Amino acid sequence: MPKHPSSGKYAIVGLGVVAGAQPDRSERMIAAEAARLAIEDAGLTRKDITGAVDLRRSGGGGDRASYSDAFTRVLGLNNNYYYINGRGGALAGLGMATAMSFIDRGISDYVCLMGAVTDWSQAQESKKKGYRGMAHSEKRGYWGKFVGDSVAVSHHSWMAARHMAVYGTTSEQLGAIAVSQRQWANLNPEAKMYGRPMTIEDHQNSPLLAEPYHILDMSLVSDGAVAFILTTAERAKDLKSKAVYVLGQGFGEVSSTVWWDKKNFTHMAVEPAKKQAFGQAGIELKDIDCAQFYDCFTAEVLFQIEDYGFCKKGEGGAFVAAGNMAPGGTIPINTSGGLLSCYHLGDLTGLAESVRQVRGQAGQRQIKDCEIVMTTGHGGELVSPGMCSIHTCTILGSQP
Amino acid sequence: MSQSNVITITTEWKKPRPSIDHDNAEFWAGLKEHKFLVWKCKTCGTSYWPKAYCQNHDNEPFASNMDWVEAKGTGKIYAFNIHHTAFNPGFKEELPYYYALIELDEGPLVSSTLIGDRRPKNIYDIGQKVEVVYEDHPNEGFTIPKFRIID
Repeated sequence: MPKHPSSGKYAIVGLGVVAGAQPDRSERMIAAEAARLAIEDAGLTRKDITGAVDLRRSGGGGDRASYSDAFTRVLGLNNNYYYINGRGGALAGLGMATAMSFIDRGISDYVCLMGAVTDWSQAQESKKKGYRGMAHSEKRGYWGKFVGDSVAVSHHSWMAARHMAVYGTTSEQLGAIAVSQRQWANLNPEAKMYGRPMTIEDHQNSPLLAEPYHILDMSLVSDGAVAFILTTAERAKDLKSKAVYVLGQGFGEVSSTVWWDKKNFTHMAVEPAKKQAFGQAGIELKDIDCAQFYDCFTAEVLFQIEDYGFCKKGEGGAFVAAGNMAPGGTIPINTSGGLLSCYHLGDLTGLAESVRQVRGQAGQRQIKDCEIVMTTGHGGELVSPGMCSIHTCTILGSQP
Repeated sequence: MSQSNVITITTEWKKPRPSIDHDNAEFWAGLKEHKFLVWKCKTCGTSYWPKAYCQNHDNEPFASNMDWVEAKGTGKIYAFNIHHTAFNPGFKEELPYYYALIELDEGPLVSSTLIGDRRPKNIYDIGQKVEVVYEDHPNEGFTIPKFRIID
């Protein structure tokens, strides 16, 4: 398949990660620190950065990174523009698509994209008032809170429930996703759950929060920040770090069709995103060496495995239970541990892992001869009665 | 209907209040009159909930080809979950509660909690016929729709 002219024209040349609980630090400081690390990793200086994007979760997740100052000012970047981009957990994919336009028109040579959260620290505060989870990020104005709608937990557990009822998927099979990712996390010292192995029995015995979901079906609440530097493939040649090329990007929205025919509860808007991203990159599914799927809950991984075609629709449960996504499996998925076992920074968790895998910097969990990696993102405003809108797909590779 | 489909509750409301705005004020007014309204296209007859432009053809400005009309107030369980944890402390006394997606006979999905004696056996047990039960809160000035299994 011929590649699109844009494929391989841009590259990620620097990565900065601040992981782990940050109870004594502000968002703006961990944001600035991640950006500083990314610039240093690229072998650049602050004056080289002429554009900046703040990847914040608007929509369903709320403006949870609504701190007062821009990380660009705190760090002292030389940016001509700074804007906020992102939708739910779909951050890196959208940010890159817009940043490439600034680079393409010669407005910026190097753009710094950064996302930071202190969800874990904020959740500790709301816990004192009797709330659990992400109360600090909830938005007003949608249906259901008056009957106990608990936002993402309620809506995503419906998706798991509907998939179970339609296709016969079991809780143990969803548990296999959590266990597979925990196996990956145990190969990643940066993961929150490193050194804490988990079995299907542990999953089954963990508290049921919103049945069918156990607490171990749910993603982590985290602090942290990820920043990365985007530039042209041409400029990337002269830099010290190994360039990671952007081969393709695709986007889909369930609000276009899936919502109205109710497939939202068993499918993601993968079809258009896959067609665009894989088409631009000129690749097929078999070319993917590992996938970083957005995994706010276990069933979301299951939907994507099926919707991308790693197995037939409805057969994802058996596929994951056979160990296909775990270390040693046929398609390594969420190799950092993902949102379930590493940390939750939206799709930036997957993006950081993709960059490391392509660079060969993933330590014990490194995929052999890793050349092409896909990263997905999800999120959006909560349209009644429960909907996750966007699906983004970004293909990165070791060669332009 | 064998049972009353209206419940009146006068105790103090300690939960989040409904968010009533320009788009759903008529719907909430309908509930107070014990009517479950859906947003229906006058051109092709397709029903929506919540408010939207008709997806099947071109629309008049501000979707004036649509109107709120009374639905039957019946449907089927499409999927549900069982909340064993109160993320908001106002729901602690109700645990565990069954929060269901209801596929109305007119087509749209709506969500609310299941009340009454009957509950699904497990997560796989869906498709039961349900009817709306109007939970009046006269001191608060709103009525909340809940659903009860009837088949």
